[in-house]
Amino acid sequence: MVIWLLHSSYAIAQNQVVTGKVSSEEDGLPLPGVSVALKGTTIGTVTGMEGDFSLPVSGENNTLIFSFIGMLQQEVPVGGRTEITIVMAPDSKQLSEVVVTAFGIEREKKALGYTVQEVSGEELAEVKTSNVVNSLSGRVAGVQISSNGGPGSGSNIVIRGSSSVSGNNQPLVVVDGVPIQQSSTNKYGGGISEINPEDIASMSVLKGANAAALYGARAANGVILVTTKNGSGTKGIGLAISSSATFERPLVKPDFQNTYGGGHGYRTWYSNGRSATITDPLEIAQYQDAYGPNAPLTGTAGTDESWGAPLDGRLVRQWWTGADVAPLVPQSDNWDEFWETGQTYVNSIALTGGNDKGGFRLSVGRLDQKGIMYNNDFKRNNISLNTSYNLTQKLKAVVSGEYIESGSDNRGFQSGQQFIWSHRHVSWDQLKNWRDYAAVHIQREGDDLPPNWQHTFFTNPFYEQEFLTDANDKDRIRGSVALNYAFNDKLSLLLRSGTDLWSDTRINVSRFERISNGNFRAGQYSEEVLRNQETNHDLILTYAGTLSPDISVTAQGGGAFRSNYYKRNYAQVEQLVIDGLYSLNNNASPNINASAIEEKQVQSLFGSAQFGFREYLFLDVTGRNDWSSTLPANNNSFFYPSVSLSAVLTEMLHLNSSTLPFAKVRGSWAQVGNDADPYQLAQIFNARSPWNASVPSFAENTTIANATLKPETTTGTEIGADLRFLDGRIGLDATYYEQVTKDQILGVEISKASGYHQRILNAGKVSNKGVELMLFGSPVDMPNGFKWDVTLNFARNRNLVEELAEGLTTYTLYTRQGVSSEARVGQPYGTFYGNAFKRSPDGQVIYENGLPKIAEGQAVLGNIQPDWLGGVSNAFTFKGITLSALVDVKKGGDIYDEGTGTARWTGQYAETAVGREEGVIGKGVRNIGSAEAPVYVPNDVIADGKAFYGYNNPRTYHESAIFDASYVKLREVSISYSIPASLVSRIRAQSASISLVGRNLAILFKNTPHIDPEIDAYGGNAQGFTYGQLPNSRSIGAGLNVAF
Amino acid sequence: MDIYKQLKKTVFLTAGVFLAGACTDKFEEMNISPNNPVEVSSAVLLPNGIESSVDRYWGHNARYERLNLDGGMLWMQYLSRNIYSNEGDNYSVNPSFHNNNWKGFYNDAALNFQRIVVQSGPGGRNPNTNYEGIGLVMRSWVFSLLTDLYGAIPYSEALQGTAESPVYTPKYDSQEQVYAGLLEDLRLANEKLVVGGPKVSGDVMFYGDILRWKKFANSLRLKLANRQAAKKPAESRAVMAEILGDPATYPVFTNNEDYAVLEHTSALPSNNEWHQVMIQGSRTDWNMSSTLVDQLQALGDTRLTVFAQPNKAGEYAGHANGLPDAIATTYLSSSSVLGTAFLQPSTPSVIMSYAELLFVLTEAALDGDISGDAQAYYEQAIAASFGQYGLEVPAGYLGAAGPATKESIMTQKWIALFGQGVEAWTEYRRTGFPVLPPHDSRAVFMNDGELPSRLQYPSSEYSLNQAQLDAGIALNGGPDNMKTKMWWVE
Repeated sequence: MVIWLLHSSYAIAQNQVVTGKVSSEEDGLPLPGVSVALKGTTIGTVTGMEGDFSLPVSGENNTLIFSFIGMLQQEVPVGGRTEITIVMAPDSKQLSEVVVTAFGIEREKKALGYTVQEVSGEELAEVKTSNVVNSLSGRVAGVQISSNGGPGSGSNIVIRGSSSVSGNNQPLVVVDGVPIQQSSTNKYGGGISEINPEDIASMSVLKGANAAALYGARAANGVILVTTKNGSGTKGIGLAISSSATFERPLVKPDFQNTYGGGHGYRTWYSNGRSATITDPLEIAQYQDAYGPNAPLTGTAGTDESWGAPLDGRLVRQWWTGADVAPLVPQSDNWDEFWETGQTYVNSIALTGGNDKGGFRLSVGRLDQKGIMYNNDFKRNNISLNTSYNLTQKLKAVVSGEYIESGSDNRGFQSGQQFIWSHRHVSWDQLKNWRDYAAVHIQREGDDLPPNWQHTFFTNPFYEQEFLTDANDKDRIRGSVALNYAFNDKLSLLLRSGTDLWSDTRINVSRFERISNGNFRAGQYSEEVLRNQETNHDLILTYAGTLSPDISVTAQGGGAFRSNYYKRNYAQVEQLVIDGLYSLNNNASPNINASAIEEKQVQSLFGSAQFGFREYLFLDVTGRNDWSSTLPANNNSFFYPSVSLSAVLTEMLHLNSSTLPFAKVRGSWAQVGNDADPYQLAQIFNARSPWNASVPSFAENTTIANATLKPETTTGTEIGADLRFLDGRIGLDATYYEQVTKDQILGVEISKASGYHQRILNAGKVSNKGVELMLFGSPVDMPNGFKWDVTLNFARNRNLVEELAEGLTTYTLYTRQGVSSEARVGQPYGTFYGNAFKRSPDGQVIYENGLPKIAEGQAVLGNIQPDWLGGVSNAFTFKGITLSALVDVKKGGDIYDEGTGTARWTGQYAETAVGREEGVIGKGVRNIGSAEAPVYVPNDVIADGKAFYGYNNPRTYHESAIFDASYVKLREVSISYSIPASLVSRIRAQSASISLVGRNLAILFKNTPHIDPEIDAYGGNAQGFTYGQLPNSRSIGAGLNVAF
Repeated sequence: MDIYKQLKKTVFLTAGVFLAGACTDKFEEMNISPNNPVEVSSAVLLPNGIESSVDRYWGHNARYERLNLDGGMLWMQYLSRNIYSNEGDNYSVNPSFHNNNWKGFYNDAALNFQRIVVQSGPGGRNPNTNYEGIGLVMRSWVFSLLTDLYGAIPYSEALQGTAESPVYTPKYDSQEQVYAGLLEDLRLANEKLVVGGPKVSGDVMFYGDILRWKKFANSLRLKLANRQAAKKPAESRAVMAEILGDPATYPVFTNNEDYAVLEHTSALPSNNEWHQVMIQGSRTDWNMSSTLVDQLQALGDTRLTVFAQPNKAGEYAGHANGLPDAIATTYLSSSSVLGTAFLQPSTPSVIMSYAELLFVLTEAALDGDISGDAQAYYEQAIAASFGQYGLEVPAGYLGAAGPATKESIMTQKWIALFGQGVEAWTEYRRTGFPVLPPHDSRAVFMNDGELPSRLQYPSSEYSLNQAQLDAGIALNGGPDNMKTKMWWVE
C-alpha cells in the first residue's frame, strides 16, 4: 500500500504555490484562522497570525475558497496569480451556509438535496448541560429528546419518529468522522452524553435515511454528526478557560393533600412499623386518648397509604416518638425536604495553537455533579487532543484522541415512589437523620431494621442511598488517525482508522445485612465488568473536477470495515459473610456467575458522485454494499442506493429580487439496509442456576432462531424548499418526508403452546410521514447594534404500522400492569391498550352504586406519539449583551403514569382529601333503565371517598392513569455579556464573557396535574410509561468564558 | 481521458487492497455464539424442566402468578389472606395469573421435556429409552395440570415450534382427548422405562431410580383414569385393571417412601417456593383459613400441629377467606400462620403422595371401578397421610371422620392434600367436596361469588392463536370465564 502510494505520488507534479493575506472588512485587521481551500479538493490550509497563507495549487482554472465563521465565504479564481489579497466581509445573511455532511465533508447547504440542520458550538456552550444532546431539544425540527435526569444519565433520542418496532430508534452518533457507541441504558449514559460540551464546534443532524446513505445500516434512524474544535482559527497559542456552576431543584411539585395522615380507617398510629395489634397497656391508653375506646387496637404503619387521621394535632405515636406521643401535624414541605439541591460544575481549559502547517487543541474538562437525590453523584474527566499537520504539501495527518474517565460512588437514585406509597405526615428531614432516633425507634420482635416510617414494605430511602450504592468506574478511549494524500488538485485519498473502547466496572450493593420478620438476611452485591469496542477503518478516494466549464463533479469511492466487540463478566455474591466487605471471596454460598461475548463485523464498499451544473443544479448519487457477519452466508450482502437533486431557482432563473433573494427546491430518495444482532441464526440452550449448586442445568431458548434472515430495508423520500425573503432577513425551510421500514428483524411472539415465546422473523412495515418547517429571521436589526433573531421550528410526524408478520396483527412493545403499548396493524406505533371505563353513548362515564363501571375487553387508551413538536428561540443582542430564550413545545402524545394513578389511590394528592368523610359524587351518569334499554341520568349517588378514589388504581383501572403529555416549556433562558475588548486586554485576554443561564425554568402549559409530562422511565420500547421516576429539575447557574 | 483511466485504476486498486485485508470467510464462524451451546444432553435439561414445573405447581414465587399460594391454597380455604385479598382470595385474578402460568408450563417446563423426548427417542440424536420415559412422564404431568387448569388445551400439536413441520398456531384438543392421550403416553412411558436399562443422570427427583419413575407413571395414570371414570367408565376401568392386575409390569407407590416428590435443598434457588416467598421474600400476607382450622379442630386432627403454628395466645385460629383488607389486616397477628415444616428451604414439593394414590383407590372401589374394600382403602389412606408427617392416627379419629362415603373420602382427601392446593381444587371441582362453609358476611367476592371453575385462557392466545382458541373455547361448552365447568365434573 505504502509503496503504491509513493509510486503514484511522483506521477502528478505540482505546478505553483499561491501565497496571500486575508483581512477583515470591518476593522482592516488581519484575520487568522481563515480556512483556505482549493475548490473541489481536500487540499487546504488556514491563515496564520498575520492572516497569511500559502497553498500549493496545480493545473489551470483553480479556485480558492475562503471561509470563516461569521464571514461571507468567497470563491476566488487563482487565474495564474501567485499572490492574492482578500478582504472578508461579515455575513449577515448566511446565505451560503456550510454544513457538515456525511464523511465530515463540508458542503454548501444549497447543494444538498436533503435536510441537514446544524447547531453551533456557541449555541450549545451558552447553556451548559452535562449531556450535550439535551440542548438539541426544541432547536432542531423533528428531534425528540427525552431525558431521565439522574447525574451522568443519557437521553432517548428519536429523529422523525420511530421506524423500528424492535426498540432501537436511536440515531447514529459520529464524532469527527468516526462512529461512537451510543449506549442504550439511560441510567449510565454513554456515547454522546460523555462528550465535553466545550469541545464541540458544531453538531449536524442528518435526518432520515436520505441524509446518511453513506454511513451504512445504522444511519437508518438519522445521524448526529459532532465536529470537535481543532486548532485552526487561533493566533498562535491560545488559551480558553470556561467555568460554570449550576444548581438544580425539582421542577414540578405534586399537589399534595395535607389534611390526613398515613394509615387507614382515619387512624394514624405507629405501633411497631407493621400492622400490629396494640397490647402494651401504656400504648392502649395513649391510643384510646387519640381514637376513643372503640377503635380497633391495631397500628396503621403497615399500610403505606394516607387514609389516616386528620392532621389536627392529636397526640399519636410516630416512628420517631418511641413510647411517647407527639402532635400529628401536616408536613406540607416534606417534598422539598426530600430533595437535595443538585449541583453541576463544569470546568475546562483548552490550549490551542496553529500555523500554516497545522494546528492542535488540547483540552481538559471536568464535570462534577451531585444529584437532587441524597448521595447520588457523578464525575467525569475529559482529556482530548486534536492535531492536524501538513507533513508535506500533499500529505496531511489528523490525529485526535480523547480519554474519558467517569464514575460515581453511587449512580443509584430512588425513583420518587416515596411520595406514592407514603404517609403524608412524615418529615423527610427527620428520616434523613434516622440515626438520631435509633435509640427510641420501636420495632417488632424479630425485626432489626434501620429506623423508618414503616417496615412492612419500605426501607428508609436515605439509608438505602447511603448503603445500597451503585458505584461505577468507567474508562473510555476514543481516537482516530487520518491521513489525507492529495495526488493532485483533483484526486486525493483518505485513510482513516478510529476506535472507541470503553470498560465499565459496576459494583452494586443490592442488600444490607438485616433481620426482618425473624429472618436473617445476609448482605448481597454484584460486580459487573463490561468491555465494549468498536473499530472503524475506512478508505476514501475523492476526485473533484469538472466535466465541462458548466459541470463540476465530485466522486468518492472506497471501503469501510467495522468490528464490534462486547464482553460482560458478572458475579453476584448471594450471601455476604462479613457485611460491608464487597469482595467476591466474601461469600457464604456459591456466587451467581454470568458472562457473554458478542462479536460482529461489517465490511462495505461504497461510491458517490455529486454533479453540479452552473452552481445552481446539483445531483448526488450514492451506493453502498454491506457484508455483515450476522446474516446467513447467502443473504449477508446487501446494496442500497440514494439519489438527490437540488435546484437553486433564484440563480437558475436569474431572479434578482430583494424580496426573494434565494429559493431552492430539493428532493431525494434513499434506501438503507440493516443487518441483525449477532447469533440469531441457530437454536441455542441457556444455562440456568445449577440444581443444589451442583447439578448443571440448561433450558432451551424460547426464541426460535432463523437461519434464513435477510436484511431490513428503510426507504425514505423527501422534498423540500429553502427560501429567503426580504434581503435574507426572513428564511423558511420546509420539508415533507416519507420513510418506510420493512422486513424488520423482529422477535415475533407466537402461541406459547408451540413451546416457544417468539420467532425471529423478517416482518413488519412501518411508515413515518411528516412535515418539518423552520422559519427564521431578524425582525429587528437596528443601526445602533440592537438585533432580534428568532427561529421557529415545527415538526409533525405521522406513524403507521402497515404490516406485521403473516397472520400477526399485534406486536407488543411493552407491558406493565396489564397496559400494553402495541404496534397494531393500522395503528401508530405505541398505541396503549387496557381497561377503559364504561361510557354512555354520549361519552360519559357510567356509574353504578356511585362507582364507575369498567368496559368489557381491552380498549385503545391513547398513543405515545406526539401530534407535533415545536420550538421558538429568540435572541436579542445589544452591545455585547445577548439575551436568548428557548421555548420547547410538544403537543399530544399520551403517557401511562402509574405514579399519579397510584398516589391518588393511596390518598396522597389534594383531590383525594375532598369528600373523604362526606362521600363523593362521581361526574357521569347512571342507568335507571334496564341493561337492554338503558336510560341514563346524571349520577347522583354518593360513594365512599376511599372506594371512589380507589378507581384510580392504575393496575386495574388503566384509563385513569392515561394522561396527555403535551407541554410548553421555557427550556432555556440565558443572558451573556461579552466584556469589551478594552477591559479584556487589561488582563491580556482576547475575549471574555460571563453568562447567567437557566434550563427547564418553567412549564408554561401541561395537562398532567402532578408531574412533569416529559418522562422516560424505562427507555427503548417502553416509552410513555412512568412510575414515580426521578423528577426533572430546573437548573440555574452562571458561567465564565475567557480566551487568551 | 487519462484521468479517468487513473481514477478507475485507483478505485480498483484501493478496493483490492482493502478487501485483501478483510474477507467474509470468517463470518459464519464469528456468528456462532460463544456463549450458548447449540446441543445439550438430556442430563442437563432434566433438572431445569423438573425445577421449573414443580416450582410453578407448588409456588409460584412471582407475585400475581402464584398458582398454588394465591390460587389453590386460598380457594380450597387452607389459607386466607390478611392483606390484598384481591390477589386471589376474593376470586379476583390478575391477568398475569392466567398468562404466565400458561406460558411457564409450556415454555419453561414442557418444552424441555419435549426436547428430551425428541432427542432421546428413536431416531433422536442420542437415543436412551429411560430419558425418553422420564420425559414422557413429566410432560404428561405438566399437560395434566394444564388441562385441569384451563380445559381444552393444545396437546397433540403443542410443542412443535421447531419440529420438522413446525406448528406455530397449535389446535386445541378437548379435555377428553387430552386425557385419552395422556393415559396412552403414560402407558408408553412405563414401557420405555426399564429398570437396569440405560443410565440417566441429572435426575433431581428420583436420583436415577427408574423403578420410582415407573411407579410415578402408573400411579399418575391411575389418578387420571379415576378422574375421568364418571365420564368414561369402560376405558377407565380397563386402565385400572391393566395396572392393578399386573403389579410386576405396572408397579405403583407402595409406601410413604416412594411417592412423587421434589426434595428441595437449602442452596438457592433450589429451595422450596414457600420458603422463597415467605422467608426469603419476607411476605407475611397469609394466615390459616378458619375453614381448615375449624374442620381439623372438630376432628381432633393432629395434622393441624404440622400445618399451622399456634398464635401468640398459644391457640390455633384462622380467619375467613375473602375479607376486605381493612378487616383482614386486623387478623394478621391473631390468626395462625403456616407450620414451620412448610417453611423450610428443604420442604419437599409433593407431586403425588402415597395417601393420594390410596384415596384414588378408595374412590374407585366405592364407585365399583375396581374390586376391593373401600373402607379398608380409606383407612389405609388416612393412616398414610398421618404417616407422611410422622404421625399416628389418633384414637377415635376414624369415628369422627365417619365411614367411607363420597363426602368423607373427599373431605379426608382434601385434608391429605394440604400443600397440593391445585390438586385439591381440581378434586373439589370434580366432586363438589369438601362442602365449604357459607361465605363470611363481611367477605366480598368477585366472579359473582362463585369459586373459580377454571382459569381463563391467556390474552396471548387471543392475539396469537385466535382461530384455534375459538375452536378450543367451543370444545369447553361454555364461555372463556371462570365459571365454565370442566369435562370431568361429576
